[in-house]
Order: sequence, then C-alpha cells, then structure tokens
Amino acid sequence: MASLIFLSTFCQRGIRPVLLCHTHLSRGLVAYQKNRDIEAFHLAAGRIHTTSAHCISNSRAASKHWTGERVLSIVLLGMAPAAYLCPSPLLDYSLAAALTLHGHWGIGQVLTDYVHGDAKVKLAKAGVLLLSTATFFGLCYFNYHDVGLCKAVTMLWQI
Amino acid sequence: MALLLRTVARQGQCLSRSQFGVLYRHAVPMGTTANEEMNKFWAKNTRLNRPVSPHISIYKWSIPMLMSISHRGTGVALSSGISAFALAALVLPESYPYYLDLIHSMTFGPQFLAFSKFALAFPVAYHTFNGIRHLAWDLGKGFKIPEVYRSGYIVVALTVLTSISLAAM
Repeated sequence: MASLIFLSTFCQRGIRPVLLCHTHLSRGLVAYQKNRDIEAFHLAAGRIHTTSAHCISNSRAASKHWTGERVLSIVLLGMAPAAYLCPSPLLDYSLAAALTLHGHWGIGQVLTDYVHGDAKVKLAKAGVLLLSTATFFGLCYFNYHDVGLCKAVTMLWQI
Repeated sequence: MALLLRTVARQGQCLSRSQFGVLYRHAVPMGTTANEEMNKFWAKNTRLNRPVSPHISIYKWSIPMLMSISHRGTGVALSSGISAFALAALVLPESYPYYLDLIHSMTFGPQFLAFSKFALAFPVAYHTFNGIRHLAWDLGKGFKIPEVYRSGYIVVALTVLTSISLAAM
C-alpha cells in the first residue's frame, strides 16, 4: 500500500522509473478497458460516472428489507404474551405467518454470510424458500385440521 | 485496494498521455459493484485453493462473541424445529393429541419432564431476550463496551430465570 502511494507521487512529479511506469501503464490499460464498457466515461471530457439508478434502487430495497425485519421482530415479540393471555384461531394463523417469515429472513441472513458465488446463493435461497413455504403450509394445515398452535403449546406443557 | 490501484493506474495513464488536459484525481468511476467485487474475491481465492489464516481457531473467545453466535445458533435451531414440526404435521397420519397421549403413556420421571421443558424453553427465552438486546442496538443504544457486557449478563440471567419458571409451570 505504502509503496503504491510512493509510486503515485513519483508519477505525479514526472519522474519516470521505466519499469514502474510500465506496470502502471499496463494496469491503467486494463482498468481503462474495463471502464470502456461504462457509458458516460470519457477521459478527455472529464464526465464522471455516478452511481447508477439501478444501484440506488438496490440499496433502497435493502434498507426497506432491514426495516421490515425489525418491524416483524417487534410484532412477533408482541404475539408471545398475546398467545398466552388470549389464544384464538386468529392468533394461531398470525403466529404461523410471523414465525415462518421471521425464520425465513433469519436463515436468509445466515446464507448471505456463509454462501458465496452467484450460482450457490441462488440455489440456497431457492431451497430456503421451498422450506419456508412448506413450513407455512404445514402450520396452517395444523391450525385448520388439528388443535392449533396456541392450544398445542398448552397441551404439551400439561403432560 | 483494487480501487486505489485503479485510481493510481488511471493517474499514471493520464499523465503519460499529454493530450488529456483534464485531471480528475478525485473522481471514482466504479465499473463493478461491491457484491461483484466480493464474488470475484471468493471465486479467485477458491480457484487458487489458497489456505485461510486461522481466525476463530486462535482468537480468544469473549462473552459478546459467544452470545452472538448463540443467538444465531438458537435461531437456526428454533427455525429447524418449527419446520420439522410443520412437516411432521403434514406427513404423520395421526392427530396431535394422539401423539401427546403416546408420550404421556411412556413412563418418564417428573425430573426428566421438567428438564425437557427447560430444554425447550431455554433457546426460545435466550433468542427472545437477546433479540430485544439486538433491537436496542438497532436504535443506537448500548454500544459502549461496559454496556455491552452488562446487557449481556442481564440477558443470560433473564433467560435462566424464565426457563426455570416455565419449566416449573
């Protein structure tokens, strides 16, 4: 790192150690080839490529997702005493939805941390989506055809 | 690092060609996103089969570290448990009360039952209380190191107390 800054000051001052500047030039060429693909990149005119609208909308979506995760956590927190104090079918289905979505987003974060590479990420996310869908369906089935989530916990604790 | 290289390289290129009159040292035209750069890093390093420096195997464990990974561990465990329950509800032929009666008919001692209830309640309680701690951090509160440790100890104490009370119910 320090050596690069040193080299850059050399180039600015116009001293051209031949070897060093060759590597500079070749790297510069490589960088320039890549950047040719970006529209609005003109060395001479000095137009500057700013963050594209696509990137901005990506980070807006990510920000909304983050907020949604926190809101859901708070909602789920409220459901815990509610399920104990006034169990009902409404709470059963709400709990099923909130629990599965919270788990789905949580596992999604774990994946983002540990799985790398576009293909692997896509595969893992598809797998988790499948699991979460099946989980939600299974919990709704349980709520409809069986005793329901709130009652189930009560019954389990009475063993 | 790559950014610095490119910026420096561009300067070198710029200065070596006299026809470019405009010097824009501080402009940062990025050709790739952070995500693309990260993927390139992983692809290159796995392809070259480079060894990874020891990190979690040598770093001294701290309470915040332990609590953080436990939050993740309990989260994954609870999520798996719920999914297992949901899939069992779809697959198993009999109803929930039938299987409860089955467990009830097995002669487990009261200590074993109390311990099982504790074992079920503990991850739920821990994840819930530590989750509240996380939400406080998301509001920007409690980042000072003594505060981190204090809130951590409170979470563990609350977890143990809650799990014991729930197991006694």
